[in-house]
Amino acid sequence: MIPAARAAEPAGAPAESYLAHGRGPRAWLLTLDHKRIGVMYLVVITLALLLGGVFALVLRLNLWRPGGGLVSNDTYNKLFTLHGAVMIFLFVIPGIPAALGNFVLPLQLGAKDVAFPRVNLLSFWLYAIGATLFVAVLAVGGVDTGWTLYPPYSLEDARGLGILLALAAVFVAGFSSILTGVNFIASIHRLRAPGMGWFDLPLFLWALYATGVIQIIATPVLGITAAMGFMDRLFHLGLFMPEYGGDPVLFQHFFWFYSHPAVYIMILPAMGIVSEVVSVFSRKPIFGYRYIAMSSIAIAVIGFFVWGHHMFVSGQSRWTNLVFSFLTLLVAIPSAIKTFNWLATMYKGAIDLRTPMVYVLSFFAIFGVGGLTGLFLGALATDVPLHDTYFVVAHFHFVMVGAVLTAFLAGLHYWWPKMTGRMYGEGMARLAAALVFVGFNVTFVPQFFAGVAGMPRRYATYAPAFLGWNRASTVGAFVLALGMGLALGGLLASLRSGRRAPANPWGAASLEWTTPSPPPHENFEATPRPTGPYDFTGLRRVSDEAGWIRVPAEAAP
Amino acid sequence: MIGALHRTALAAAGFMPERASSVAAGVDRVFLFVLWLSAFFFALIVALTVLFVLRYRRRPSRAEPEPSPSHDARLELFWTAVPLALVFVLFGVSTRTYLRMVEPEPGRDPLRIQVMARRWSWWFDHPGGRGAPELHVVRGRPAELVLASADVIHSLYVPDFRLKQDAVPGRFTRMAFTPVLAGTFPIVCAEYCGTDHSRMAARVVVHPDQASFDAWANEGAAPAASLVDLGRTVFASKGCAGCHSVDGSPRVGPSFKNLWGRQEKLAGGGTARVDEDYVRESILRPSAKVVEGFANVMPPVPLEERELQGVIAYLQSLGEAP
Repeated sequence: MIPAARAAEPAGAPAESYLAHGRGPRAWLLTLDHKRIGVMYLVVITLALLLGGVFALVLRLNLWRPGGGLVSNDTYNKLFTLHGAVMIFLFVIPGIPAALGNFVLPLQLGAKDVAFPRVNLLSFWLYAIGATLFVAVLAVGGVDTGWTLYPPYSLEDARGLGILLALAAVFVAGFSSILTGVNFIASIHRLRAPGMGWFDLPLFLWALYATGVIQIIATPVLGITAAMGFMDRLFHLGLFMPEYGGDPVLFQHFFWFYSHPAVYIMILPAMGIVSEVVSVFSRKPIFGYRYIAMSSIAIAVIGFFVWGHHMFVSGQSRWTNLVFSFLTLLVAIPSAIKTFNWLATMYKGAIDLRTPMVYVLSFFAIFGVGGLTGLFLGALATDVPLHDTYFVVAHFHFVMVGAVLTAFLAGLHYWWPKMTGRMYGEGMARLAAALVFVGFNVTFVPQFFAGVAGMPRRYATYAPAFLGWNRASTVGAFVLALGMGLALGGLLASLRSGRRAPANPWGAASLEWTTPSPPPHENFEATPRPTGPYDFTGLRRVSDEAGWIRVPAEAAP
Repeated sequence: MIGALHRTALAAAGFMPERASSVAAGVDRVFLFVLWLSAFFFALIVALTVLFVLRYRRRPSRAEPEPSPSHDARLELFWTAVPLALVFVLFGVSTRTYLRMVEPEPGRDPLRIQVMARRWSWWFDHPGGRGAPELHVVRGRPAELVLASADVIHSLYVPDFRLKQDAVPGRFTRMAFTPVLAGTFPIVCAEYCGTDHSRMAARVVVHPDQASFDAWANEGAAPAASLVDLGRTVFASKGCAGCHSVDGSPRVGPSFKNLWGRQEKLAGGGTARVDEDYVRESILRPSAKVVEGFANVMPPVPLEERELQGVIAYLQSLGEAP
């Protein structure tokens, strides 16, 4: 049936692919197969990305003129709130771990599934319920609190039903994230293929492990905070509302105790993808494996102690500020270690500029800017003027959109043949990658300048002095949207017309590439024998159709 | 060459606001230091990426990588130690400037101004009693602002001063600066506060000298509605005078004569300095800090933010601690 795939398989009859195993909505919606759950996540997070993207385009259009006018101020405020909430809670946080991670993790471990398949399905449905609640927020008129939900504004009676639904959505979606973290950590501990030690794990799994730790420790705090806000709003407990004796800055501490580590929930898996792709497409073992693995853990640990840098001008003590500033700057070190190890991996390699690698190269530049501009915000003297300006908006979009989205697209293009069994058109995909890169930079570079010039964020209208920066940014947003549309279109088109994917189209060495594309329901026909995730010796390229196969050492020419 | 580039960048940074406070130039120096540091590392990353892609691109003549080590502890140590050292330098440079940004310049009598933020406007009560929707200060004279909010969190941001401070309901926050340029500069709100957040603007007027400020402060209507008067009215109407004298004579509660800045000995140990936050707490939650030798009998007196500001101004008018 799939002759191309068969050529690369181990001996024996090919098993039915997971896509063909059970048909109809029930076989998908109630599946315990991690691959199908991953695909369902992928569909929903893509819808969330589209929704959040449309909000962003309306925001940018409103900013075409200093006086706004396309939408009212109130509508603008609701749109930026939902743009942030949808993008963060429904796209960036679950994007790489829940969609790609779910699909890839058991395959890379050489396992049949995650440790707790039923919990995994529960995670998906909690996420779906959370997403539905966010859509319900729209249906009751929206909220205009910003995704940060700062009281007292967010908990005033005037915010209506929307804020209660939003808090409930955050609470429910949070549990989805916690359960995914538990599942991944348990899987990595218990389900590694025979002979696979901790330092034989692909770095993507180290990244997911570090992410899981943050998900388990930090996300409950978000849930508790949402519950406290809910209670404060309904029963006036006086936790955060000064009117009833509460402290609004306490909310900020709780919120950022989760939401800053959440940035690392977003970026660590992205870095994991980069580690995989840069090694495979340089055809060289990753440089400094242990240093990259340990830097993931270091980022996860330090990331818990930097939340106060969001509150440098909130009135908290200057000595507290000094401590948070220093710890924040320390995050630069593991990030630098990773970056230099990636670059060293390319040194003397045989760099293949396939689409995933093109996205990774663009990741280097974008993450470079995103990370380095973080220094301005970690340093107190420069943070004070830049805090809550467009400089911050540009910085976190470079990290969360630029770097994470670019790595997500790299990962999606990397594992797409494995997920769907189809190859996409390289030309179109690379063009899309270039457009995404250009559009992204044209959108967000001007925002650094607007921020330095003093334009605050969350402004529906602005002083005419900022006109040029805003116009450039709006134009860029549409180029970015075009690039994203093209990338998505190219992938979807491959489902119809793409060539059949071989088991190992890229010559990668981790275990997911030893099983057919798409994999059978049980993942592997026989218990796989790990070779080391970056051991490319013996991998020979046969043809486009047959991909790469591992030639036993004695048979190698 | 770096020096020349640096001066060019400083001059050409036309998109930067004026440097109108005594700390602005220092902030910009830190900014440019980080900028060059970042530019160097960014250039390094991009240059290595481009170089490696050009040299090591896979092509028919180069199907396989060249042998090279897969790790090198000395290299790892190098690119850990260099960023770590730079982090220390950056932290030091930034912190030195920051500590000057949060204290009024020592040695001179600061201009004390009470700020009230509310949706979507600012109100500034100046010494001498004049209130205005704009902030008036004097070039070269330190100013100390005490910020309050009547509703939600706002943030007073003066880009030309490179300073920003949140106004948080339920507490007072402080901001200190010394203007160095006369003129007017925009004030904007930097913390999201609802519908007209983007229109919550005001301006700072920096008078060239004290005389100009005094002329402004004394012009127009008599300061009948000054904060001190409001405070005196609250003091009389809420029954405070029943227990607190203003002439130093002892009553049920401590006298308010020369109260401001006093170190009070507390029942149960410890001391507290009488400042804005202490006064707020003592009115809203009197039993939190009871002065030694007095009974814990005062009931909480719920006051609005504006009334609190008034009482504070009135107490300040009764003299400072020696």
